[in-house]
Amino acid sequence: MLPLRPVCGGIWRAAVHTVRMSRGAPPYRLFSSTCDGAPAALADADTIFALSSGHGRCGVAVVRVSGPASATALRCMAGFTQRLPPPRTALLRSITDPRSTEVLDRGLVLWFPAPRSFSGEDSVEFHIHGGPAVVTAVLQALGSVPGLRPAEAGEFTRRAFQAGKLGLTEVEGLGDLIHAETEAQRRQALRQMSGELGRLYQDWSDRLKRCLAHVEAFIDFSEDELIEDGVLNRVDVSVSDLQAEIERHLKDERRGERLRSGVQVVIAGATNAGKSSLLNKLCQRPAAIVSPIAGTTRDVVETALDLGGFPVLLSDTAGLRDSSDLVEREGVRRARERVEQADLTLVVVDSHLRSVLPDTGTVPCVCLLMHRLCLLVLNKADLLPEKQRQKLDTELRGVSGLPAVRLISCQTNEGLKAFLTVLHSSVKTLCGDPLFGAPTLTQARHRAHLQRCAAALAQYQRYRDTDLALAAEGVRLAVTSLGRITGRVGAEEILDIIFKDFCIGK
Amino acid sequence: LLLSPVSRHVGHLTGHQYDVIVVGGGHAGTEAAAAAARVGAETLLITQKIHTIGALSCNPSLGGVGKGQLVKEVDALDGLCGRAGDWAGIHFSILNRRKGPAVWGPRAQLDRQRYRDFIQSELLSTPRLTMVEGSVEELLVTEPNPEEPGHHRVTGIRLANGSHAISARSVVLTTGTFLSGSLFVGQTTSPGGRIGDAPSSAGLSHTLRERLGLRTGRLRTGTPPRIVKDSVDLSLAKLHLPDSHPTPFSFLNTHTHCKPEEQLPCYLTFTTPGVERVVRESLQLNCHIQQDTKGPRYCPSIESRVLRFPGRSHQVWLEPEGVTSDLLYPQGLSMTMPPDIQLRLIREIPPMRRAEIHTPGYGVQYDFVCPTQLSPALQVKSTQGLFLAGQINGTTGYEEAAAQGLWAGANAARSALSMPTVTLSRTESYIGVLIDDLVSRGVTEPYRMFTSRAEFRTSLRPDNADLRLTPKGFEEVGCVSSVRYQESLRVRNSLQDALTALQALFLSTSSWKKKLPSVPISETKSTLLTGLDLLQYNDVTFEMLASAFPESLSSFMEFAQRLKIEAVYKPHCDLNKKEIERIQREENMSLPQDIDYFSLPVSLSDEVREILDRVRPSTLGAATRLEGITPAAVVNLLNYVRVTEKKKETHRNQRQQEAQRDEELCANSASLPQ
Repeated sequence: MLPLRPVCGGIWRAAVHTVRMSRGAPPYRLFSSTCDGAPAALADADTIFALSSGHGRCGVAVVRVSGPASATALRCMAGFTQRLPPPRTALLRSITDPRSTEVLDRGLVLWFPAPRSFSGEDSVEFHIHGGPAVVTAVLQALGSVPGLRPAEAGEFTRRAFQAGKLGLTEVEGLGDLIHAETEAQRRQALRQMSGELGRLYQDWSDRLKRCLAHVEAFIDFSEDELIEDGVLNRVDVSVSDLQAEIERHLKDERRGERLRSGVQVVIAGATNAGKSSLLNKLCQRPAAIVSPIAGTTRDVVETALDLGGFPVLLSDTAGLRDSSDLVEREGVRRARERVEQADLTLVVVDSHLRSVLPDTGTVPCVCLLMHRLCLLVLNKADLLPEKQRQKLDTELRGVSGLPAVRLISCQTNEGLKAFLTVLHSSVKTLCGDPLFGAPTLTQARHRAHLQRCAAALAQYQRYRDTDLALAAEGVRLAVTSLGRITGRVGAEEILDIIFKDFCIGK
Repeated sequence: LLLSPVSRHVGHLTGHQYDVIVVGGGHAGTEAAAAAARVGAETLLITQKIHTIGALSCNPSLGGVGKGQLVKEVDALDGLCGRAGDWAGIHFSILNRRKGPAVWGPRAQLDRQRYRDFIQSELLSTPRLTMVEGSVEELLVTEPNPEEPGHHRVTGIRLANGSHAISARSVVLTTGTFLSGSLFVGQTTSPGGRIGDAPSSAGLSHTLRERLGLRTGRLRTGTPPRIVKDSVDLSLAKLHLPDSHPTPFSFLNTHTHCKPEEQLPCYLTFTTPGVERVVRESLQLNCHIQQDTKGPRYCPSIESRVLRFPGRSHQVWLEPEGVTSDLLYPQGLSMTMPPDIQLRLIREIPPMRRAEIHTPGYGVQYDFVCPTQLSPALQVKSTQGLFLAGQINGTTGYEEAAAQGLWAGANAARSALSMPTVTLSRTESYIGVLIDDLVSRGVTEPYRMFTSRAEFRTSLRPDNADLRLTPKGFEEVGCVSSVRYQESLRVRNSLQDALTALQALFLSTSSWKKKLPSVPISETKSTLLTGLDLLQYNDVTFEMLASAFPESLSSFMEFAQRLKIEAVYKPHCDLNKKEIERIQREENMSLPQDIDYFSLPVSLSDEVREILDRVRPSTLGAATRLEGITPAAVVNLLNYVRVTEKKKETHRNQRQQEAQRDEELCANSASLPQ
């Protein structure tokens, strides 16, 4: 497993977005190609924060803050009004919300003035109780401190790197680390973006892009072209609608759908391999319909489990095969999507088939190729004669780079205990890794970007009648802020909308 | 104009060694030649006809939204087009006047003759610059370097009609639409780049494609027919007046050559359904429009306008061509149908019911070199000393050409004089945005500047181009005269002093209310406000503050408008600043151009190696912006850059130490008793 590091983007921020959000998206570039056009928002002088311990069952959660405003955070959240605590000393304090002064938790705070900290900058650590409610509350409170924002992937590590705080071996592993972080963030983002919340953000993003395109068209072309003033009036309406919607969304305590939390374990494989049987075994109740008919499971069946104390979200998926049945095809599409988002995939294979080794092009291979974490589960051991077991054994030993393999039988429970042990330890490792899927942190990040987006739209309103360039700057900032959730928007994309909507013919 | 003293007979040039040869005398070529000479290079400009140097091939105007910014920046770097515009302008206006100073678009209608005269006399009086008439047949390059296959070095050019070879260390090609150009009118096609001029030789395209292996593409453009002014009933069009106080382009000029009252108006009219009918009826007679060569989306012919957006009325501007010209230029009516049908078409527009065509419109198709093969200095990556600027790089527009010309010329001179080439960042200039877009993304249609392309638009304003570029142009590039440099320093210091003086005015809201009774200052604000804060108010002008505090502010009256703009934009520019600094840091980390990405001993995926090898980004910043480059790859590259820089540094230190030791040894032995 990777060393523990807080979640974190930075100089590769642009690239992070590319990787995370838009595989296969059309070539885009920022308004900023390099330029995300979000000037101050992400410069190094910002102070960043993140949950730097794992989630799941843990007694204590560690939230790390790094950057020049760390001391401010300490002052307004841990009650140090007069002077700061002695450096590198744990003190028990009440941690309060700076807006409401409500006490959120009692915990330890540590102050690490620059340069003697992990990142080389002023840093603060909050050691608080590990429940999701407390962690969420503290992260949101930090987000409300001026100058603070949630860290992007790789950001803590980058700062440490730039400050020369990483050892040689750590530096060598940095690339892999960043890769893991971006992958984890990408999976998390995919999960969130595939739901209703994703559709909502996407709709906002589309409307905002249109607003921006129309303002830009008005700036660049209206003097020579037939672009009537009515265009701006429509933008006015759109901008204030969007601002209101986003603000309402931020106030709504339910905040749309609940994010699914826990390690995402997905059962995948060919039809009739016994995937649903495995699900039923694991949750000890018939959650999924099991039948000898291939293609019984057509949709994703999801069950929340507590596996030796760790939260797991187990999904059973449709067997992967080409089908002419429309419903089944949709099921297979969803299954593939789920595998994309999975933290851990259980690849179930029918062991008494002639060759259990995955054919090229099937899921197991896809998993292996993408370096996904997976376990190979050979089911139906009860149907396997002794001779064939040995053959299978030799066959498997001959292949290098296979994931952990377990031979089980859902019928006779053979090998199930050993399999559970392997599964438990994989889940445990995943939970101890702070990189991975902390929904509260992603939530806090989304919140911060949405707040910024709404504030930027207010800038449009403020300058609308006096300086359209500054008003447009507001819409650009809004597009960029939202783009940090939905994927980057480039100048070329805006120009495409302009040329689609207007006849520009100077 | 007497050209003879400067343009020598071709024969005399044979065997002569120039630092820089510029091929082409359009907007890119003239700026390139002038810039190269200013930097200090012995420069030769070769053009087919000396007489057409500085000719405006298409529209008689300069500047506009986005383009005006480019003109101001070219002027800030001591280029020609801004001053030429001030000399030749006959109708000045600032577009977007009501939309905020960052997007103001200074623009002028030009007198074609005056523009050409100004450019020609300016070039004639430029030291170290020679002009000669001729057609370049061949680009001379060395055999590829055996150690770096495909890499050449330019050595000069060979002229057509004879074996004249002229050698040079750098060559700037600004061939415009002449590179394998074809002209289209109706169903007839003829070779050429501009009507009335001979086609350029095929030899040049051959060298670029076959010898140097450069990837080229084809683009198209077009120009409208010129209309006889007397045949147009202008009373049926809408009169469009210029600004009553013309604003010059150049930071050196306080007024334009043309007096305010001498300016000429433009006229606005609209297409009718008849225009669309004529276009549709004549489609089969129109070769140009049927070809799928890429034309611009934003400067389309009337044919593509009515086909793409049917059933609408489109704007047509009728623009003067000069003070003494009998012609009008119908902006928006670029067309390529047969001349008789062009006449039918324009007569469908009310003011032109009885109009006569002086010269029919036509289309041009030409070759361009895919600009991703260039470095940010506009030098062909694989051919040392070869620079390209203007339409050959896939751009459209005078201003875009001038900007590239200046930058390519300055770099060609630096390279010839063994000085390192220089780059402009997209965080500091529109020219930087233009060049970065070209070299890092390439073009799929003719590239034109828009303000929406600049991510730091609020900082890259037309009013502050001198502050952004003139000092750099003098100190780092060498293309700015010391007169202009001194002036820019005077301006910078005065602005700084004025801002300091404004900030020193530190009053309570009630005191401000007394001083400026007409300004609605909110009483609820109990804090103190500075003069700079006040200047950010909509209804406060610098003049108002200066009359309230004459002793501290009146000496800055000449900068009243600039100070107002500075004050309003300051908070936003301060926000931009951090991001700009971050990007510049990344741009400062250069990646060696000769890296073998496939064998680089760092952890990179094959996919990433392939992308890096294909694009060869020149800086880490450029690499970061490439699609498909993963964050992990960037970190590994960063690491590599750090390590190699450190190694170089240690190496340098070692060498210095060794040198020192040697010196000491010498000194010791010298002091030994004889």
